[in-house]
Amino acid sequence: MANRLIKYFFIGLLLFPFAFLLLLSLGRGWAYPDVLPQHWTVENWRFIWGIQAGLGRSALLSLSISLGIAGPVTLASFVVSKFIAYDRHRRRWLVLAYLPYVFAPVILAACLQGFFLRAELSGKVWGVMVAQLFITFPYGVIFFSGFWNEHMLAMEQLVATLGGTVRQAYARVLIPIARGALMTCFFQVFLISWFEYGLTTLIGVGKVQTLTLKVFQYVTEANIFYAALASCLLVMPPVVLLWLNKKYVFSRVG
Amino acid sequence: MVVKSRSQAAHQRLCISERALGHNVTFHPATCDVLTFDVSTCDVQTFRAMKPHYAKYLALGLFLALAVLPLLAGLGYVLAYSLGLVGFRSAGLTLVHWEAVLGSTFFWRTLAFSAYVAVMTIGLAVGAALWMVVTRPQAFLQGSLSLFIYFPLSIPAIVMAFFVFQMLSGGGLLSRIGYQLGLMEGLEQFPGLVNDTWGIGIITAHFLMAAPFFVILFANLYDNEKLAALVQLARTLGANPRQAAWRVAAPVLLQRAFAAIVLYGLFVMGAYEAPLLLGSQSQQMVSVLTIQKLQRFNLADIPQAYVISVAYAVLVLTLAVWLLGRGKRGDAR
Amino acid sequence: MLLQAIDIKKDFGQEEVLRSARLELQAGEMLSILGRSGSGKTTLLKILAGLESPDSGQVLLEGRDITRLAPNERNIVYLYQEPLLFPHLDVFENVAFGLRLRRLPGEEVSDRVQRLLESLELPEQADKMPHQLSGGQRQRVAFGRALAVQPKVLLLDEPFGALDTETRASMQELLQHIARKFDITALFVTHDLKEAILMGSRIGLMQEGELKVYENKQAFIGDTTTGVQQELDFWRGLG
Repeated sequence: MANRLIKYFFIGLLLFPFAFLLLLSLGRGWAYPDVLPQHWTVENWRFIWGIQAGLGRSALLSLSISLGIAGPVTLASFVVSKFIAYDRHRRRWLVLAYLPYVFAPVILAACLQGFFLRAELSGKVWGVMVAQLFITFPYGVIFFSGFWNEHMLAMEQLVATLGGTVRQAYARVLIPIARGALMTCFFQVFLISWFEYGLTTLIGVGKVQTLTLKVFQYVTEANIFYAALASCLLVMPPVVLLWLNKKYVFSRVG
Repeated sequence: MVVKSRSQAAHQRLCISERALGHNVTFHPATCDVLTFDVSTCDVQTFRAMKPHYAKYLALGLFLALAVLPLLAGLGYVLAYSLGLVGFRSAGLTLVHWEAVLGSTFFWRTLAFSAYVAVMTIGLAVGAALWMVVTRPQAFLQGSLSLFIYFPLSIPAIVMAFFVFQMLSGGGLLSRIGYQLGLMEGLEQFPGLVNDTWGIGIITAHFLMAAPFFVILFANLYDNEKLAALVQLARTLGANPRQAAWRVAAPVLLQRAFAAIVLYGLFVMGAYEAPLLLGSQSQQMVSVLTIQKLQRFNLADIPQAYVISVAYAVLVLTLAVWLLGRGKRGDAR
Repeated sequence: MLLQAIDIKKDFGQEEVLRSARLELQAGEMLSILGRSGSGKTTLLKILAGLESPDSGQVLLEGRDITRLAPNERNIVYLYQEPLLFPHLDVFENVAFGLRLRRLPGEEVSDRVQRLLESLELPEQADKMPHQLSGGQRQRVAFGRALAVQPKVLLLDEPFGALDTETRASMQELLQHIARKFDITALFVTHDLKEAILMGSRIGLMQEGELKVYENKQAFIGDTTTGVQQELDFWRGLG
């Protein structure tokens, strides 16, 4: 009994931030020392599509950038990681792939700012996407490096001795087997891009207003209700994915 | 294989740090089923008779262009800038900016503060996660907790920082509850837990992101390393449950997760969003200081920002290469 | 002569894996190759399949030099110790795989696969997924998949190495049966002395990068360096 109570308490703690942000996004007027906001309204949520706020537009922009990054990065890193995984210097390549991560993305952006300015990519959506490639692509390569193992190589060789070309090996064996991994990588890269703040601010020089920038903007404007609302929008995709994911796990893995 | 979601601060790190263990691990969040592959022993021959060499060079070229070149070019440019070789005010080779930064206390204080935040965060998060996993490993491997433990990972750093601010600031929820309970008479009596010189707000935000991450990592390692069997063995050898947990399970987990722990520490050291919202002006972390110097109107600050970037890069990249290069014997063939 | 390997040499870095390996294989023959692990058996098989290229030497198939030919153009199938069934395809589609690559008409595929499944005592398993099969059944599906494309040569790299003793014995019997039925030409690599004698019409011994092929089984048994005599002495000693 006590164990069960502890467990539910713990789950409550884990879910509390979500509940709190949602409540705050529905509130208006939260004077000290009230524990809850004075008024409840869905007005804030309607504001998403308000013209001056552009929150909806930011959400669409974030979505486009993240989808535009996730697709190509997943496919490119899938293929590239194969050559790296089967290379004699595999470990050295992988160490190189880790470096952009260990190096904080925002400092990487600071180092690259000059190049982006000169290439006239600063402040442009394209520029932000290119910069995000630099951190998501190595991630994809690391992600798939474990997929390409001796077992997978043997499969590919088997296809060859059975008369299949490299293209047929990809289409009929490697991609079908990797489907789950490809989807996982797609969503993870999507989320890295979706959550990116520092690098996007610096390369986009504040002009590429993604959702994370909106959260920061509302926080600095001390507009906590809109900040909470933008936070909810930001958190929604991963939570939905997590939920879908659970079903996916139970229906596919015995 | 499943789809899973995590926050930036966590999901990229989770996979990456698992791989840094010398294993490539892919998780099922609910079943925590793990696919393991040992990097260090893998030396796979390509099929030479097929000769897809042009494809290989194309692939490696793309990798160099997207993963290696930006870092090298960025660091090279910044180094040249900091030495006065390029930039608006370049006046030929000079060490003046390097002397200014390395000779100042603010740089070393910033570095020390960043390290302090990283060590505190990792210490607390690893300690808490270890305690949770070794005392009740099954709770995180099956049942509802094995799903819900993933939820905090879907909160990005900037949102977590906002949440912590709304909890811990003078006008935050804790202060209001304290007031309603009669523990204090006004928000000015509430202790400064955000924008404070001790980094309590920053550490709290990172702790809330790191602890679930380590719980998941440890729980999966527990399963993967078949620690339940080892713990049972220890029990038959006469260990009590506490001894089995802390003398067998915990050391194995720490050892297996060592690289992941250090890597996560480096991530926290370079963190930007949480320190930006929750840090204080007088005591900054490396990323915040660098960006602030870069964005000031004073042009003399720019080379200094770049000195900090290069110095920080040398520090973390050396650490990372050392960490990832450990135990690579057998790979040189 | 169906398959010939002439003076095959292969180094991996400093390590000389194949020094000067030669072999000749008649159509319809099964040659056992016996050797310790690391003796170069697998490398030789991979070179014959085109999965590795030799540093020097030649591979001839029906008199034609195929040394530089891509593996998918040789019609030589290489089978591993692991059955390596495609996890996303059922038994039928696994067996049909090579035929689908060749874009054969559906009916022909269906006919051929059904016949093979029957020969391999697998007709009831057609709709099952690989993970629902036993180890022996999986290996049979792997044979079916290889036989479906009617390879000129079948290269078997310790195909029963992962099976328990009982399954192994029944698989050896099955392979002998289908080898006769389909008139298979094969190289059978093993490190098990008894299996080598049982499966091969001739036997070769791989030692230090060289392959010594015996005229017949008697010559192999008579050679004191093969270890057969010690084995016989041991069993006699017990009796």
